[in-house]
Amino acid sequence: MNLPAILLAIRWLIWETIRQSLATRIFWLMLGVSVLAMLFCASVGTVDLPRYPIGDTPERLPPNDPQARDPERVTRHGVDIINGQVTLLFGAVRINTTIYREEAIRWLQLVLAGGVADTLGLLLALIWTAAFLPGFLEPAAISVLLAKPVPRWSLLTGKYLGVLVFVLLQVGVFVVGTWLMLAVRTGVWEPRYLLCVPLLVMHFAIFFSFSCLLAVWTRSTIVCVVGSLAFWVLCWGINYGRHVAVIAVTEHAEAAVGASWALGMGYWILPKPFDLSYLLSQTLGASDYFPIASELQAVERLNSLSLGASVVSSLLFAVVMLILAGYEFLQAEY
Amino acid sequence: MNMSTVAEFHEVCRDYRLGIWSRQSLRAVDAVSFTVQAGEVFGLLGPNRAGKTTLIKMLLSLCRPSAGQISRLGRPLHDRRTLGRIGYMHENHAFPKYLSARELLWGYGVLTVLPYETLRSRVEELLDRVGLLDRADHPLWQYSKGMVQRLGLAQALLSDPELLVLDEPTEGLDLSGRRLLREVVTGLRQRGKSVLLVSHVLSEVEQLCDRVAVLRQGKRVFLGTLDQLTVQGGRPLEQSLQELYEA
Repeated sequence: MNLPAILLAIRWLIWETIRQSLATRIFWLMLGVSVLAMLFCASVGTVDLPRYPIGDTPERLPPNDPQARDPERVTRHGVDIINGQVTLLFGAVRINTTIYREEAIRWLQLVLAGGVADTLGLLLALIWTAAFLPGFLEPAAISVLLAKPVPRWSLLTGKYLGVLVFVLLQVGVFVVGTWLMLAVRTGVWEPRYLLCVPLLVMHFAIFFSFSCLLAVWTRSTIVCVVGSLAFWVLCWGINYGRHVAVIAVTEHAEAAVGASWALGMGYWILPKPFDLSYLLSQTLGASDYFPIASELQAVERLNSLSLGASVVSSLLFAVVMLILAGYEFLQAEY
Repeated sequence: MNMSTVAEFHEVCRDYRLGIWSRQSLRAVDAVSFTVQAGEVFGLLGPNRAGKTTLIKMLLSLCRPSAGQISRLGRPLHDRRTLGRIGYMHENHAFPKYLSARELLWGYGVLTVLPYETLRSRVEELLDRVGLLDRADHPLWQYSKGMVQRLGLAQALLSDPELLVLDEPTEGLDLSGRRLLREVVTGLRQRGKSVLLVSHVLSEVEQLCDRVAVLRQGKRVFLGTLDQLTVQGGRPLEQSLQELYEA
């Protein structure tokens, strides 16, 4: 079997998966969520009011404020506090702020990317796409495809990539759409927000690889939905627990050594949703303006957190899951 | 193996375990041997659970034999390229209902590794042949069972196969659909191609098959021509089969 033929087969399966998402209305459902988020962003506005002076409160300044870089001046004369408003729902809600307009918009982007897309969006995407593979692997549906000359692994690869392309489209619409709306309305063009697209798709791809393995093993949508959600919660718990255990061990809690070892094993084997979310917020520059979780601060101080290693080991986990799923699919009998 | 043999089963066995933890197994196919020759229509007959579909699945690499050997177009089963020269019509199609007939044939043609130009002409030709050209762009959820069966036949013919495997093909087909199927099978035979037919419809078997194998409880209990089975046409096929099934 030549490579171009395999690539054509994979391309067709990707296209077929997009058609499936359109037919099952999942495409429109997820697009609806994105449109709602875009409408919300279109309702956002900012009002810059005159700065007002206030003394001896440099801690209230954003760390990158030019005035805060001159501590002597701050001590002597105080500083001007940024004064303004963020309006939501076309002015129906007005929030007084003492931060820059750019930071207010970055905060909104952080909520959209970290809260809506990275947590809620990821879990919803796992649920809504969970039926794609089990339906495809039903004996009556797959038998005719398996009797074609393309290699079995290419069928699974095509369908997996099809789901990823579908999610990439949805994430792209969500991120680019909300970015454009916020930028047009407020004049804040923050390009770092666009980096959320590959990060969110990578996060999804890692957990969908586990759903893929469950689908090949069980061919059950229920198992894929419940299993992948439970797995995400388990991974999040182990990820967070490992950081807490590292801190506890360092603070001479002898009893925590065993737990730390076990959690450390789980941490390095399993995907790390807590770290991946932190990577996302770091990419958006959130730590420049907002406090980060104390556990993350502590493990960073202890040099026990490497986001690069977290990403690589999470991706390795996904590769292992896909190889296992591929092997299981090659062995499966219909 | 004879050069004109398109499929060969030699002492093929297939066991199914009765449960994940069970050591007991059920023998679905028991030392079955036969060949399908080029240019013949071969019928595989037997009561339910005789092992007919299991034999077909093994031929198409959907499952593996527990013992024995199977060759496909003169090549061992692990050579998947031979699947490109075999058409398969499943008894219960579960095609994606959101695709149209044209889209489905294109996709299945791509998976059959047909060149673009061949595929373009073949899809239109087959849509016309099975009478679906006027509904070619309608989604399959609008199709009746008979229309889906016609589409199943069309996708099996995409590669102009050397061997066409039909598993209960007339299920859901109306009279014109059955006539179409007979014409297709007869046409293939005339062009020196082979058909492996699994069917419970005896009239179909009588009209189409050159040779048959009869299976009972996984074992081959008869192999020969229909004339041999009906003792030179002296007995009805139904009676002959009934005797074999109950022997």
